[in-house]
Amino acid sequence: MMLLNYICCVFLIVLGLYTVIVKKNILKIVIGLGIIDYGVNILIISIGYNPGGTAPIFTPGEIKPGTFFVDPIPQALTLTSIVIGACVTAMALSIVIKIYKKYGTLDSTKIRRLNG
Amino acid sequence: MIQHFPVLAIMTLFLASFLVVLFGSRNKIVRGIITMVASTIPLVLMICLIKPIMIEGQVISYWLGNWEPVNGWAIGIGIEVDALSLFFALIVTLTVFLSAFYSLKYMSRDDTLEKYYVLFLMLSGAVLGLVLTGDLFNLFIMIEILTFAAVALTAFRNNEDGPLEAAFKYLVVGSIGSSLTLTGVILLYSQLHTLNMAQISAMLQNGQNSTTVFAFALLLTGFSIKAFIVPVHPVAADAYTAAPTSASMALAGMVNKTGVYGIIRLLYIIFMTMGLSSVQNLIVTIGTVTMFLGVTMALNQHDFKRLLAFHSISQIGYVITAIGLGTALGLTGGLYHAMNHTLFKGMLFLCAGAVLYSAGTTNLDRLGGLAKKMPQTCAIFLIGAFSISGIPPFNGFVSKWLIYQATYERASQTGNFGFALVTVIAVVVSVMTLASFIKVSQSVFFGELPAEFSNVKEAPVSMRIPMWIMAILCILTGVLPAQVYQYLIRPAVNAVLSPVKYINVMMGNGYAEKFLSKVQAAPDKSVALAGYWQPESWLLLFVIVLAAVTVAALLGKKDRGVSSSSAEVTDGKYATFYSGEKNEFSRVGGSDLFWGLKYNLRHYFGFIGNIHSGVVNDYALWAVMIFAVYIVFAFIFLL
Repeated sequence: MMLLNYICCVFLIVLGLYTVIVKKNILKIVIGLGIIDYGVNILIISIGYNPGGTAPIFTPGEIKPGTFFVDPIPQALTLTSIVIGACVTAMALSIVIKIYKKYGTLDSTKIRRLNG
Repeated sequence: MIQHFPVLAIMTLFLASFLVVLFGSRNKIVRGIITMVASTIPLVLMICLIKPIMIEGQVISYWLGNWEPVNGWAIGIGIEVDALSLFFALIVTLTVFLSAFYSLKYMSRDDTLEKYYVLFLMLSGAVLGLVLTGDLFNLFIMIEILTFAAVALTAFRNNEDGPLEAAFKYLVVGSIGSSLTLTGVILLYSQLHTLNMAQISAMLQNGQNSTTVFAFALLLTGFSIKAFIVPVHPVAADAYTAAPTSASMALAGMVNKTGVYGIIRLLYIIFMTMGLSSVQNLIVTIGTVTMFLGVTMALNQHDFKRLLAFHSISQIGYVITAIGLGTALGLTGGLYHAMNHTLFKGMLFLCAGAVLYSAGTTNLDRLGGLAKKMPQTCAIFLIGAFSISGIPPFNGFVSKWLIYQATYERASQTGNFGFALVTVIAVVVSVMTLASFIKVSQSVFFGELPAEFSNVKEAPVSMRIPMWIMAILCILTGVLPAQVYQYLIRPAVNAVLSPVKYINVMMGNGYAEKFLSKVQAAPDKSVALAGYWQPESWLLLFVIVLAAVTVAALLGKKDRGVSSSSAEVTDGKYATFYSGEKNEFSRVGGSDLFWGLKYNLRHYFGFIGNIHSGVVNDYALWAVMIFAVYIVFAFIFLL
């Protein structure tokens, strides 16, 4: 079951990179960046998951050697990563809107006034 | 007492970025006071740390929330300042202070300035946090804040054409880099179950497996994108050109230094792979390509700021080459050049900003003769141009001389001809840098003054003060290399080459010795031993290379079709200096000083001009390509 998670996250990251490289519509490029983020988030969660572990919520006296729970750190990292991803997407979309107003197109091959 | 200084410096900048938007949105004076106070405090705090860290050799650690390690496992987020971190922190805080000072007047013609300062202070805080942190995930967070703020700053003047486009490209490539960094961090965590850099560094010495090697490739890609080395450099050129000049200075002065810092930290301390000759070859190759491609692209430019941006890339190539040598001398040269790069490149960007402020354009084909109108800016520009080209007694000479020596020393040690070739390329690039700056000074400050600029005035005093401060620092670091080496560079080099103390201070005494099989002794190289101060032989070398380049440039003269007819000579097309086609027919402008050189190498210049296509997909592809190269490299040589 965990193998499926890893295959899925690699697939998502590669799909995202493929989208960014191949798609000429800058809106789709932003979607590609989002897909990379989701892939990385699934990877983080999968790394922290122990099959059969409980939720990592304990009071000080409750934790004993042999208590089996999932790793809480990756979950905290994922939350941070999701928030950052949402911010990046929001900013990318606002730039896309501005570019569309200015250039009148979403085609990345036409948005190349800075070159050479 | 002093262990609180690093965290206070970071907090000050982040806190001020919120205060600016709360209290400074209406009142210009309040905004200015908050910005200046917030940018001065970190500088003062970092200067206070010079004595304990640089001179007494302490390493300061600070656990946020006092979560100290339990049973040899780091559980909290740690801040750790060794001499390397402090060296970069000094560069960063100085840049922040001068850039903030300059922006007070420079940005005064823009509106919604509180947003500029929010982003600027956030960028500063993130960069400072990045170089001071001891936690790998915290480092990723700082990279993300940094990218976010830098992209928004690039797009700040979004009424113009370039900024939006440049910001979008930066965002796409930067996000790919950040995502790869995060993947690398989490893969290391999956193997070692810690995020503390000191602990990772110690534990990785037990041997690498395929996951940690893959993480190495991911992290190296992430930092390469932050340092804007080839092939992800076009993003930097766009961003530096499009951002407001005070932000360009911050980007060129400190943001790409975070990439350099990351590469040093990663290669020398976390993975300690710098002893392998394969890694040295890889990093030196990339650095050499970066410095050569950067300078040849700069020769091709018609915009002052874009030209400076490509020079900035080229100079980072020098730094990467030097640190890739893996020797104490190479590191000395690399760190010295990193500091000098911040000083002279920041200064040159400020000059470009002054020209833009006064004349309203940075187009090299339109400007001319501004030396009469802006004498001080011209003087500062010349100091910067001499520094970047490595002319004695300015600071660029010292560091470039160290780099030539380091590459040559490496060549004689290993018997590898490639390193000697690197020395030659480094000198040639230096000559081309000088050539390029002769062209800029000819087209901006000397020559004929166009009528439209007859009313141009000198830049205001508050813009000239930061420029003069940097100019004086350029000269001081050029004439007092022994002192700079003694108090700044040598502690940093020692910190890089002997990471035992870094690990022990963080994790408790004796921790590093448990893992490290052999403890490297810190090298103690004196300046005299490096034998660096020999201007005569350098001058001889410079003259030889200059002659060689001249011969190369003149070789194809016959092919140019110089006609014996005097009618065609007066045409101006074939005149010695001011020759060439009109702009609309050719990439090489008619006013170009180096028309002949460019004509001879037109296929090369055309080729590199065309591959910088400006299409975001291409730039993303290049980022993925370098990632692929690193993966293949890591699995072949490191596993």
